[in-house]
Amino acid sequence: MSKRVGIIGAGVTPFKGTWREKTYYELAQMATRDAVKDAGIAIQDVDGAFYGIYNDIFERTAIPEHAIHGLLGMQNKFGIRITNGGATGAYTMSAAHAYIAARRFRTALVLGVEKATDCFDFSSMSATPEVIKSIGWSGDSFFEQPIGWSASDSYAEVVLAYMDENPGDLKPEVTAKISSLLSEQVRNNKYAQRQFDQVTPEEVINSRLVVYPFKELEICVYTEGAAALIFAEEETAKAISKNTGNPVVWITGVGEANEHSFAGKNQKDMSRIMSDYYASHRAYDMAGIADPTKSIDIVELHDAFVHQLEISMAEFGLVPLGKADSLIEDGLMIPGGKYVVNPCGGLIYCGHAVGASNIMSAWSARNELIRRNLKTALVHGTGSTVAQYTACMVLEHE
Amino acid sequence: MTTQKEKVIPEKYIPDVGSYIETIDGKDYLITNDAMYTFYRRTKGEFSSFFLGLRDEKKLLGCRCTKCGLVRVPPMLTHCPDCNFAPTELIEVEQVGIMNSTPPITYFATSLFQHMAPYGRGRVIFNGADTAMSVILYTTTGILVPGIINKGTEVKLVFRDNRIGEMTDVFCVPTTELSKEQIEKKGLQESEINWESPVEPELPQANDPDVAVYEKALEEMKSIIEEMNTNDRARKDIAGWKRDIQVKTKGGQFAIIIDDGDIKLEEKTLSSPDFVMVCEDPRTLLDGLAYRGAITDSVISKKLWISKNMEFNTIFKLDRMARSVARSKKA
Ligand SMILES: [Zn+2]
Repeated sequence: MSKRVGIIGAGVTPFKGTWREKTYYELAQMATRDAVKDAGIAIQDVDGAFYGIYNDIFERTAIPEHAIHGLLGMQNKFGIRITNGGATGAYTMSAAHAYIAARRFRTALVLGVEKATDCFDFSSMSATPEVIKSIGWSGDSFFEQPIGWSASDSYAEVVLAYMDENPGDLKPEVTAKISSLLSEQVRNNKYAQRQFDQVTPEEVINSRLVVYPFKELEICVYTEGAAALIFAEEETAKAISKNTGNPVVWITGVGEANEHSFAGKNQKDMSRIMSDYYASHRAYDMAGIADPTKSIDIVELHDAFVHQLEISMAEFGLVPLGKADSLIEDGLMIPGGKYVVNPCGGLIYCGHAVGASNIMSAWSARNELIRRNLKTALVHGTGSTVAQYTACMVLEHE
Repeated sequence: MTTQKEKVIPEKYIPDVGSYIETIDGKDYLITNDAMYTFYRRTKGEFSSFFLGLRDEKKLLGCRCTKCGLVRVPPMLTHCPDCNFAPTELIEVEQVGIMNSTPPITYFATSLFQHMAPYGRGRVIFNGADTAMSVILYTTTGILVPGIINKGTEVKLVFRDNRIGEMTDVFCVPTTELSKEQIEKKGLQESEINWESPVEPELPQANDPDVAVYEKALEEMKSIIEEMNTNDRARKDIAGWKRDIQVKTKGGQFAIIIDDGDIKLEEKTLSSPDFVMVCEDPRTLLDGLAYRGAITDSVISKKLWISKNMEFNTIFKLDRMARSVARSKKA
């Protein structure tokens, strides 16, 4: 039996569309300073560091974590960078969990940091086309990059394939309501990029098509920022908790899966996000959860697109596949409903600072479990070329 | 419809050496023009036969596992991972196939593909194959809109006239838009297809009520554009952008001038506009500018015509300005 691992400290920087005032060195330190302060420890008490940084191009450095290590005071200790597409943050937490559970370390820093909008397209004189171009370098380079593969169009492929198999689900009025609901929830997140960008369902429906079937107000925004967590093994976690008075939130389940990159027989089933299915169910198994609909109170999931949020919720087994619209139609995720979904506003409203996003989600899940005095949360990260990478964690608050 | 470029990195993407200062809360921050670039002479390795097949022989190749018989197109591997790495062999497959699922359509493209937008990209299972190949999708009837190509739609592989041994050498169009001979022809080329070319729509004669509608809409647009011009967030949306747009409607025409943060509406005819917008009902554009629906969507639904697809870029900026003004009002 591996050792229990808990979260005993957390911090995030404000998530912003652009951070002209800071480089990623300083953003990394800001979140780390807050996390160790929250844990009531010194950085010298941290045994190893796990860096979630998605994209070398955003940081404009090919080994972007090397400079951070010493600048955080972690020199001469273990340091590793995880990069796993959109699921980078979730995989970084999974890695840190594994090392501590294997008794390699007592404590670890889990740090996600990302720039993005330093990228700039001089042909359209705007940042976004260059940001999405740099993500476009992630596609298969022989067959797909040259014909315009992009993060949005690849997720749209999966969503449209799901809609082919489940006609009548993911109705535009439902995706619009979910986006509007998330924009209300973000009001309480003072670190969010769009804290005061509340939108009505009508505005969502009226917003422009970016990639069919996605509308502008149904898509996550690019963000710069950092998020940090301090993980500790059981005895250390309990001692720290006693000291700070903050309860430990335990990581009781972890699961991951990466699917095939290409579609067709024996390869990826485009109408499913099987990685979400496998990763969540593996995490449930580890946590001893037999029926997630009875156990999960809070979901902090990686909502790159509202439609994908709905499919992911179905793959998690929290709503039936083909009836994901019950999230709204049966009131499952509306305030007072069965699940609290993305109370931080999600990546669509809090923002998507890729490597930091899932770590921010865990930060929020931990805060919400404690604040609302609820027991169980599911944290999720998805990514890569056809929604094919997933890592999930079950968090429990005793 | 060529996507070839003369340089690996076209001139327009390359900024001058330089830097500037951005001031936030009274503090100066230095921002420098920069690039991270690497050039390659990159091998196509085991995929060389596939790409040479496209370029020189107009052939579509796949690989068949000698054990399980699975045919993968494109030929992704020399040994099958499902069969303990049994060897595969190259085979030729047909140039007609069906859509594996409904393809997305990209309107807002990355900086590399703005010249191609709007474009569809989807996965086709060619006859004789078990796996799907990603291809660009076009319609011969103008702008690709949702509903033309869906899951199960039969499509034909078409070869570009100029081929360089890349996936851009081919694309697909629905077979319903082709003749029987074209569908059956192996190695059908783009120049053998009739492409509907974009022509400026002719506007019907205006009567008095049309002119009245135009004049009312024009007044509203004027005041919205004046508001945009004084809104910091909206001005940022068109920083560094310069476009002279001629707008033609049934009741009359006018110009929108965008110049590095400034935007104005002028009642005049431009001698050489960057592009022309035609919308029979001026309220179509008015609604977009007033944040009551996206101008982008009006172009897609053909209520508003633009003379250059590349100018979707400018349309996005106008949509964004409408949202910026709305956001400022909420804050
Ligand atoms: Zn085989």
